[in-house]
Amino acid sequence: MNLFRSEGHIKKWLNGREPGATLTAVKLSELADAWWHDRLATDWVPHTRDQNRAILDHLGLIGDFWRLP
Amino acid sequence: MEERDIALRRQTYRLFVELGRAPTVDEIADITRLRPIDVASGWRRLHDAHALVLQPDRLEIRMANPFSGIPTRYRVRAAEREWYANCAWDAFGICAALQVDGRIETSCPDCGIAIGVDVREQRPDPAEFWFHCLVPAARWWDDIVFT
Repeated sequence: MNLFRSEGHIKKWLNGREPGATLTAVKLSELADAWWHDRLATDWVPHTRDQNRAILDHLGLIGDFWRLP
Repeated sequence: MEERDIALRRQTYRLFVELGRAPTVDEIADITRLRPIDVASGWRRLHDAHALVLQPDRLEIRMANPFSGIPTRYRVRAAEREWYANCAWDAFGICAALQVDGRIETSCPDCGIAIGVDVREQRPDPAEFWFHCLVPAARWWDDIVFT
């Protein structure tokens, strides 16, 4: 899960490998905020699969790639 | 997850934030007044529950997501401290978890040129960079270190 200078750099880095998912830095930041914001809360409990699914759905991260186990 | 393990995890994360590195079993035993063997057992249960990740060959924390227990290519400065993140997602996640602004220092995996991103109110500045995730979500925990 890496940060690149451009989509072109991702393509070069993949070097013919099957690409995964590409997001803008803004979308990544939104995802990180939704996913991690409560990680240090004193009342933290593990996210359920449904909670994580809802985070991804809300951000439009749907489809086979984003299907949780 | 049992309440005792949630409490142990809370203390582990708290000390991780405070120290800027992964705490040891003895350090957690000191602040929790648990026996080191009980800290170790709790950490193993948290590892099995994907609530932290231990090194495969020793009782040390490899990941307390979004924090990394070892140096990585993702360095995060925030609240006058520094931590390593496990990946780009986790780098932003450190600012999110701390609920503070910060700065991410890394480099492009393709060309090696340095990348610096300020995170202000959970938004990147500059916003020109791109994130790529190679492994589908269903397989993230098959090998979380590779993911």
